[in-house]
Amino acid sequence: MTASGLPLITIVTFLPLVGAIAVAFTNGAKPNQARYVALGFALVAWVVSLLMLGGFVTASGTQFRETYQWIPAFGINYSVGADGLSLVLVVLTTTLSWISILASFSPIQNRVKEYMVSFLVLEVGMTGVFVAQDLFLFYIFWEIVLVPMYLIIGIWGGKNRIYATIKFVLYTLVGSLLMLVAILATAFIYQSGHNGSWQNAFDLGSLIAWAQQGHFNGSFGILAFGAFALAFAIKVPMFPFHTWLPDAHVEAPTAGSVILAGVLLKLGGYGFIRFALPLFPEAAHWWAPLIIVLSLIGIIYGAIVALVQPDLKKLVAYSSVSHMGFVTLGIFAFQQQALQGAILQMVNHGLITGALFLLVGVIYERTHDRTIAKMGGLGSATPVYAAALGFFVFASVGLPGLSGFVGEFLTLLGTFAAIPAAAVVATFVMIFSAGYLLWMLQRVAFGELSEFLRGLGDHLTDMKPVEAMTLVPLGALVVVLGLFPGLILGLISGSVNATLAAVGQAAPIALGLWR
Amino acid sequence: MTFSDTSAMAPFIAAVLVSAAVILVDLVWPGRKTAALTATFVGLAIVAALTVAVGQSGTTAFGGSYRVDALTTFLDLLFVAIAALTAAFAPDYLGERGLPVAEFNAVLVFAMAGAMLIAGAADLIVLFLGLELMVLPGYLLAGYHKTDGFSTEGAIKYFLLGSFSSAIFLFGIAFMYGMTGTTRIDAVAANLTAVVAGTAPFSPGLGLGLAFLMTGVAFKIAAVPFHYWTPDAYQGSPTPVTGYLSVGPKVGAFAVIIRLFAGALLPMAAQWNIAVMVLAALTMTLGNLVALTQDNVKRTLAYSSIAHTGYMLVGFAAFAAGQIQGLEGLLYYGAAYAFMNLGAFAVIGAIQRKTGVTSNLSTFAGLVRREPALAWLMFLFLLSLTGIPPTAGFFGKFYIITAAVQAGKTDAWLYVLAVLAVLNAAAAAFYYLRIVVYMFMRDPDTETSVAAHGRLVWTGLAVTTVMTIVLGLFPGVLLDAVATAAKAIG
Repeated sequence: MTASGLPLITIVTFLPLVGAIAVAFTNGAKPNQARYVALGFALVAWVVSLLMLGGFVTASGTQFRETYQWIPAFGINYSVGADGLSLVLVVLTTTLSWISILASFSPIQNRVKEYMVSFLVLEVGMTGVFVAQDLFLFYIFWEIVLVPMYLIIGIWGGKNRIYATIKFVLYTLVGSLLMLVAILATAFIYQSGHNGSWQNAFDLGSLIAWAQQGHFNGSFGILAFGAFALAFAIKVPMFPFHTWLPDAHVEAPTAGSVILAGVLLKLGGYGFIRFALPLFPEAAHWWAPLIIVLSLIGIIYGAIVALVQPDLKKLVAYSSVSHMGFVTLGIFAFQQQALQGAILQMVNHGLITGALFLLVGVIYERTHDRTIAKMGGLGSATPVYAAALGFFVFASVGLPGLSGFVGEFLTLLGTFAAIPAAAVVATFVMIFSAGYLLWMLQRVAFGELSEFLRGLGDHLTDMKPVEAMTLVPLGALVVVLGLFPGLILGLISGSVNATLAAVGQAAPIALGLWR
Repeated sequence: MTFSDTSAMAPFIAAVLVSAAVILVDLVWPGRKTAALTATFVGLAIVAALTVAVGQSGTTAFGGSYRVDALTTFLDLLFVAIAALTAAFAPDYLGERGLPVAEFNAVLVFAMAGAMLIAGAADLIVLFLGLELMVLPGYLLAGYHKTDGFSTEGAIKYFLLGSFSSAIFLFGIAFMYGMTGTTRIDAVAANLTAVVAGTAPFSPGLGLGLAFLMTGVAFKIAAVPFHYWTPDAYQGSPTPVTGYLSVGPKVGAFAVIIRLFAGALLPMAAQWNIAVMVLAALTMTLGNLVALTQDNVKRTLAYSSIAHTGYMLVGFAAFAAGQIQGLEGLLYYGAAYAFMNLGAFAVIGAIQRKTGVTSNLSTFAGLVRREPALAWLMFLFLLSLTGIPPTAGFFGKFYIITAAVQAGKTDAWLYVLAVLAVLNAAAAAFYYLRIVVYMFMRDPDTETSVAAHGRLVWTGLAVTTVMTIVLGLFPGVLLDAVATAAKAIG
């Protein structure tokens, strides 16, 4: 609750659900009703999340708390709250949600009502994951996310959508169900340690406090961390659990890709920081060498594979694998700047990759093709589009002054302090990153207008106002956060310090030799 | 027979009378569906009211061979709900095929009476009587579409294997009687406690009896490798009957397991629990794996019901390992499964309303355009069967896995079962979602006309939908009930 007495978190979480119900009652024959109602609710949820940002007190930890008994027999509460990290990601979610809904206005012409309902339910799940302070509640939101995304890819996706969506669901489900067992085992150990009382056994704060006394150490911690980490690693996705991602991205409709890259992947990184690390600090150190090595492989592998992609969307998808590798690298360096960088990187990746997917969607709507080889010379035909593409490509490469730079820089700086060798490897890969993105830009935007594009004639129009409206806020944020990263760093400093206090600063022992 | 005997058994007696009344009503107003249905629903309401009124008194009847406790009440109410929902879903389907409704309801209520007898059995003979009273009408129902070859074939298979397993089960009871000298459940338990404590001799006959009883009930719940009758019986039966068979006799057979193994044979849990765990592991895994390869929805759900048997057995194994929560979870799962599975079969039945519509996957192609309401409801039931929150099926799994994880402390194999259960749930997602793929993501091969559905079907669907959501979001409504019911045993 805030001073104003309004349960802001519950409002921001469930407002989209109210919206979904409202959309369900709109007239199916007039799809514009569904569109505007959905956009309206998403915008109001966004405004509420901004109000939370305004009411946030930087120094005082988890705020806006609401706790109600839900299933007392198991000590399960409806317990929500937000610290800086949660809040930043909630705002990212609400922002990308309305942008995605707006970006779906023209591409989605088929079963609009159901699409908008799915999208709003998706927003409920995503927001809920970031604010849940109870493991059971968290798991429920975590799983709810799956359902609408399954429909969005499966119904409104491309040619191979059914294969892609089932792969997406099965991968995610295997990870999350094992996590459920780990959640139950964790709660049970807490319960046995409290004379068999289930009170607070799923409460995140109580569990972390209990973990600090070393109750989740030893082989149990290692197994439970493994189960949590698998679920999160699949979502991030870390190499070698990433294979669902390119399929899902390529087949998903544009807005689905935006949300997938912008928010869904962040669920994994958030899960590591919020749950896996503080609950199982000892095990986190035990697993860290493996995860760091996998992150490095992911960074390199994603970049190399992106280099040879003939498909524009697949290129961006593989670049996600590479960029998200920085996030896990930064998290498992257990170092302040690295963790700050990882969180910044999550936000930046959400904004920049989200924008890149929107841009791919813009060109796809005109050409119905995404093959890079068929493009070329867009700079002369559609200058605004090419400029926007260039802007976000440079942001993604990490041009100083734009937000992408700060995240990667801090991650590498922090990692260098903790594990120099890993930082050196990762830094060299940034050259690849510049390589595949700039090469793509060159092939798409420069030179003479290609045969294929010329054949489109008048269909090849420049950006429409609606499309620009979806990109301008993202671009503005990229510039602002690039120049003033302190805006976010200030918000998350409390979360970063709390996480590091819980997990411990020490660099992983097994990598001590690398120093 | 004293008055207290009668009052304790009032719900059961009423159920038998309702069954007779439905036939009488049909004699007076032949072929009048409304009359028979009214008699059925009013009768079931009376049975439910009596069950609540008799309550959890702990009274016994007929010299202690029948006992009313919280478990009896819980199960009785569940059986009444299952019968009422089946009676609501059936008339549309039966009417279209010219099958009489009144007889169907009479037989159905009779089967319910048998299940209620099981729920209150305090004596092995009564238990067996109840079991037979429950399954015999089941054979009739399976073959109810008598002009349909598949229905008859399924019924014969069901009947042959069913009688065979009943004989095995009876043989097991005979052994138990021979070794312990009594058929009274608490006396058998006391006797076995002595055997386990070493004050009474252990004989191989006891082991044989255990094996026979285990085999007998494994047939009834369709546990792997005793499940071969299920797919044919389920696929061949008229769809509303399939829905009933997958739920009513299954929960009934679990009532047998609870009364027999948790009541009479609990002292020897250490001896038989390993068998339960092996059955559970085989049943979930094989049920799911075979379901993956089916292209008929009824058959898919038949195999999936085998898998659900496996999950419930995990709960029972946890209970046998000393966690009362395992039994609570089993009861919760039973209720959740009853509503979501009946709902799913109701949707299939509604789609098949017109004669000649198959239950193949292709029938479901593009369902969301033809009948959006049915498609979305089916989506909900399938999510629940998969175990995605916030649905009843999720909380059922949550409950059972919690119990298994807790019991893992005393018997590490239960950890393995818990992990196996969730991996199975993930595998099951594939075939449940495939149905969703057909309903939402594919276009129909041919245009099929939309059938109108009766008010009863919609009412029944509303009930199953609400229960599926409520049991998932607010499990508190049932937690006290399952806890007290489980305490009646433990």
